[in-house]
Amino acid sequence: MNRKILAIIILFFIPILPIISTAETANLRGIDTPNDNGGSIILEWEVDTEFPRIKSYRIFRSEVTIGDMKPIGNAEPGVNRYIDNKVTRGKGYYYIIQTIYNDGVVANSPMIGPVVPKAQWFDKSLLPTAGGVLIISGILIFFIYHAKSGKKLTIRRIPGLEAIDEAIGRATEMGKSILYVSGIGGIRSMATIASMNILSRISRMAAEYETPLLVPCSDPVVMNIEREIIRNAHMDAGRPDTYRQENVFFITEEQFAYAAAVDGMIIREKPAAIFYMGAFMAESLILAEVGNVSGTIQVAGTDSITQLPFFIASCDYTLMGEELYAASAYLSKDPLLLGSLKGQDIGKLIVIACIIIGVILQLLGYQWFTNLFR
Amino acid sequence: MFNAIGIWVAIGLTICVYSFLYKDNPLFKFAEHLFVGISAGYLLAIAYHTNFLPYIYYPLKSALTEGKYREFSVLIPSLMGLMLFSRFVPRYNWMVRWPFAFLMGYSAGVKIPVIMQADIYRQIQGTIQPFGDKSSLWAITNAVMIMLGVICTLIYFFFSRERKGLSGGLSEAGIIFLMIGFGASFGYTVMARISLLIGRVDFLLQNIPFINSIVSNGR
Amino acid sequence: MKRQIPLIISFVCGIFMLIQFFIPHPGFISVYRGILNWARIIGVFALIIGIGTLVRLHFRRITRRSPGWFYSVVVFAGLIVTASAGIIGGTRGKLFVWIFQNINIPLDATMFSLLAFFMASAAYRAFRARTLDATLLLIAAVIVMFGRVPIGDFLWQAVAPQSWVDKVPFLPEQVAEWVMSGPNMAARRGIMIGAALGAISTSLKIILGIERSHFASSSQ
Repeated sequence: MNRKILAIIILFFIPILPIISTAETANLRGIDTPNDNGGSIILEWEVDTEFPRIKSYRIFRSEVTIGDMKPIGNAEPGVNRYIDNKVTRGKGYYYIIQTIYNDGVVANSPMIGPVVPKAQWFDKSLLPTAGGVLIISGILIFFIYHAKSGKKLTIRRIPGLEAIDEAIGRATEMGKSILYVSGIGGIRSMATIASMNILSRISRMAAEYETPLLVPCSDPVVMNIEREIIRNAHMDAGRPDTYRQENVFFITEEQFAYAAAVDGMIIREKPAAIFYMGAFMAESLILAEVGNVSGTIQVAGTDSITQLPFFIASCDYTLMGEELYAASAYLSKDPLLLGSLKGQDIGKLIVIACIIIGVILQLLGYQWFTNLFR
Repeated sequence: MFNAIGIWVAIGLTICVYSFLYKDNPLFKFAEHLFVGISAGYLLAIAYHTNFLPYIYYPLKSALTEGKYREFSVLIPSLMGLMLFSRFVPRYNWMVRWPFAFLMGYSAGVKIPVIMQADIYRQIQGTIQPFGDKSSLWAITNAVMIMLGVICTLIYFFFSRERKGLSGGLSEAGIIFLMIGFGASFGYTVMARISLLIGRVDFLLQNIPFINSIVSNGR
Repeated sequence: MKRQIPLIISFVCGIFMLIQFFIPHPGFISVYRGILNWARIIGVFALIIGIGTLVRLHFRRITRRSPGWFYSVVVFAGLIVTASAGIIGGTRGKLFVWIFQNINIPLDATMFSLLAFFMASAAYRAFRARTLDATLLLIAAVIVMFGRVPIGDFLWQAVAPQSWVDKVPFLPEQVAEWVMSGPNMAARRGIMIGAALGAISTSLKIILGIERSHFASSSQ
């Protein structure tokens, strides 16, 4: 054959070859992202290992079948996935992926579509979490209402909680006030909510003994609720006349300004008992050390793990973690609330069982059980 | 000038706060009250710009002037906010409970799944995952120790059983783990706090001219 | 009626917030965001009442000439100057920024640094307690502290026999690391799981209206 013609034919085929090949191998697929709010589409394609000459991929999108393809993003060679986040739920989209080679040649994949992003009504990836919530809540609710049947529950002694009575008694004997610090957490911290429940019990006892209770607050919402709690406690104790709303007041949300002010109160008001219950950060020790030096009886309770050592070192008694949440039930002696403590114990047994089963399965080489807890 | 005054103010206040270590005194009282006043004022200003204006004032303004009637929805929470003031009117003070019920219900519900995932599931997973790595004896021993530690600590928190027999022994072991854990976290923070103190002392040394001249002459 | 409505509000809000976590649908997400904003708006009113209580406390001290009433004047001065500087001049205003940088930051940092002294006194007390718990706490604290500073390794290398140092040149650091990632981690996890169960239980009691000290006295 004439060499010239052969050369022309070869030159003609070189740029076409990759086009044909990539069009075949790119194998573009588009799917609606599962478990989302309908705000994205996932594009996937096969990385072409035969062509290490790929420079990059370019993704095009259109909202109609023909034409109007606009570039929406790029992907590096070796990457086989692109998430299109700029889509509207319920609309159809068409895609093309363009492979760009080092020598400047470009090749388009066939167009795919329409891919319609949809919102899901349930995030299936959260199924194990939902199961856990249902099981734990079911157990707790069962034991709460089971307790109603009148079956007696034994609850072990918790020294920190018995100390609360002792501290209030001491303040009453000395004719001095009680200081209640509910931490620096806001209403969204569960420790703060637990603290408010404890406050309700303590303020009732204080109201019965007519011992003044001072509550400096660091969160305005918490302060408002605590005022109501204390007012209710006084009514329950049959002493609405002794309720002093000015004893519950806001100082500031600023952590250390709050700590400075409470330190000042500890030194100047000289309360006979101080309770620190709730969520705390670094100010914990600034408060508890000053209280310790002033010789006050101090009972702390928190689930802030980093602050527990400081409370343990500075306070007479410390409620750790779950004990904080158990306190209100324990102090109230209400069977419904005590029932929940039994439920929590069963919860812990389930957790221990899960750990043991998980360890055995993991040792046997089964990963699926561990993956449930992701 | 403005800056020079600022540095002197900062030096003075730093000394006022440290004077508390000796005992409560007028200098500390001054610093404490100033701190409270200023931080409350700061809070008010920030709340005005980041909460009041964008979430109450502007929506209402656009509802009234631009006819965006949907924005009137801010009236519902505003009304709930106003209900907080009903406490001051004895006849209507029951109204204060509505916003409280809303806030408490909302906080209680939003936390349950988050806690389930982060504080229970992740911790279980973290405890069993290391058993997959059977390459070294040390790794497995450590994993066993952590697992026993977690179980004993959990048993320590049992409420419906007296601490007797096996559960008593395990909960004793739980206390040992707890105390070592607390000690470790105590020790871990010591250096960070000392470096804060060094930072403050350094600030004083750098900025008090008299001390600064001695320090720099000595260098 | 007065008692039922708050119970219903709590229950509905609680259940909605609980299930929205599992539902990615935009309708739910926008209601969720709406509720977050509502809480923020109620917070503004709560703050006004909060600042009101602070003002009232100090106003009474001044009018009654209580001991130390002068300090209440300081609170007012700080409050009024800072709030008006921020509200009128904006949060980037010169005076507002000056107050923040020269008063707020130094006071904050100095209060924080007091912890160095308080930690020392707390540790000393633990040292004197001589109970098993306190001893364990202290030993772990010392091990971790030494492992985190260069002097720990330095002392080890200076004091220990050379053959040991050759084997493990950074023993204090490694031991500290082990205490943190071993026993400390185990204790943390145990506390976290227990507290989480307690928190879920507390949440449920609020949603179900069993724990309702915040909106009803039992006599009503």
